[in-house]
Amino acid sequence: MINTINQFYTLIDPGLIFFYRLMDTPVLAYLLGTFFLSMIAVIIGELTVSIALKANMSYLTGLSSRMTQKENLAIQAYNDGDMKGYKALNKQATDAWGKKFFAMMGHSAAILWPIPFALGWMQTRFAGVDFAISFPFSLVTDSVGYTFSFFPVYVLARIVFGKIRPFLPYFSNVHKQLLKASEGAA
Amino acid sequence: MRNKFTWGVLMLLAVTVLVLLCVPGPVFADKLADAIAAAPQGTGPGQIDPSAAKGVYGIPGAPSPGLLLCFLWAIWVGWIFSTVGAFGGIMAGVGHITIYGLGAYAKTFKDTTPALNKLVTDSIRVSNQWLVGLSALVSTINYGKQKRLVTSLGFFLGIGALFATLIVVFSTAGKISFSQYQGWFGLCVFLIFAFMVYEMSPKGQASKKAAKDAAKAFENTVKTKGDIAGQGVKTLKWSVVKTQISFFGQTFSFSPIWAFVGGFLISALASFIGVGGGFLYVPFLTSVVGLPMFVVAGTSAVAVLIGMVFSIFNFMVLKGIMVYWPMIGVELIGVFVGSMIGPRTGKYIPEKVLKWIFLVLALYIGLRYTMRGFFGIAML
Repeated sequence: MINTINQFYTLIDPGLIFFYRLMDTPVLAYLLGTFFLSMIAVIIGELTVSIALKANMSYLTGLSSRMTQKENLAIQAYNDGDMKGYKALNKQATDAWGKKFFAMMGHSAAILWPIPFALGWMQTRFAGVDFAISFPFSLVTDSVGYTFSFFPVYVLARIVFGKIRPFLPYFSNVHKQLLKASEGAA
Repeated sequence: MRNKFTWGVLMLLAVTVLVLLCVPGPVFADKLADAIAAAPQGTGPGQIDPSAAKGVYGIPGAPSPGLLLCFLWAIWVGWIFSTVGAFGGIMAGVGHITIYGLGAYAKTFKDTTPALNKLVTDSIRVSNQWLVGLSALVSTINYGKQKRLVTSLGFFLGIGALFATLIVVFSTAGKISFSQYQGWFGLCVFLIFAFMVYEMSPKGQASKKAAKDAAKAFENTVKTKGDIAGQGVKTLKWSVVKTQISFFGQTFSFSPIWAFVGGFLISALASFIGVGGGFLYVPFLTSVVGLPMFVVAGTSAVAVLIGMVFSIFNFMVLKGIMVYWPMIGVELIGVFVGSMIGPRTGKYIPEKVLKWIFLVLALYIGLRYTMRGFFGIAML
């Protein structure tokens, strides 16, 4: 595995490091490069999950409606003072939730799998270079590495992608389908 | 809630940029390099041959688990996640410990370089937590959008998790040998085994049947009032003794002290073993705290996420533990493929047969790891 992965990183390295050389100030260049890397990870993840959602829409909708139905009934039982019914339905909602939770975990993997590969590439470039931090953050730790600087930038990339998704060719269609499906499920 | 969530994200970003802009210069610290340098050189067990090809973590001669092996095992993990609804975290751990050969490799350094033995052991724990933490992150975002997070409950669980992970990381990181970890992992599997045995026992089955009958009876007498998700959850009163929340016109209360204690104990176990703890949070919040599933679903995902973030941060930033990223990436792809296959194939296997299979597996893994870890007895 190690050789294959190393060859892969060598192959993509010139393309990725390009984004880290767009600015002269090291920290800003680092943030901008990491933003582009994050955006690539977001797009690949979104592409994967869109395919998965198309394939599994009916299964997921079924799980959601079962869970919502049991939850609603549980709340109504509570409302009516039927504590036995509330507990029983709450338990059934728990079981339905369990199935949905693990199905969602599978889909999370589809969105997130590019992240470790991105971090793996960053490790080849930025391992050992930690960012020293000043007071008051230094009370917790005196430095953070590439891993913990990546995540907030990744979140920013996700927010930006969410805003521009309705205007992107393929993703705008997926966005519409998801909206339609969620309206249907509700 | 959505505004609060957006503000939270923006604050996080601002803090990060501020942190990075405070950089006076690079800092170099590499515990792993120090441990490798301290290991005796040679080709035997417990030695490092500098001329050997680099394996995981860049250690010369370390195992280099095949892409296909990692992928296939992760499919199995994903399949279990999606069909049984439990046991996935444990199976991910078994992959890191046994299937990929990391545990056996760590063990060779027990006497020659204990620091390396403990570093690889901690890395196994953190690798498990990355898999769980990433999944919890997505769930939390989804539940946040659906207004299903109870800030007050998440806060008290989170405080408990913070204390627990700090204590666990500082008292165990770099101090737990692989054998000890394997033994405790085995005992944790026994805990899950006990849960499963109870559920399959006549008493467990009877309570399940009674619950099913009660639910059915109620379903038959009422019609639902429509979707309640849109109404969201509100915290009415914050207090250390009793906190009240409301949704759908109903008021529920919980004891923050219990939430703190639960968050503390579950996070401590999860952080130590390297699992999420979701299998404990959900029954704890529904059965012990007595909250409805509507509240529990999202909040348990937050609790898992908070525990994982603290634990991973403490391990990686404060204790310098590293993980092998490409391995986690390949595993995520495998988990995804497995969880796609699961719902399509699992329905052909009766639930009872599935439960029996996992009962036997849990017993075997629990026994094997406990005996091997604590007593050095090797089983097949």
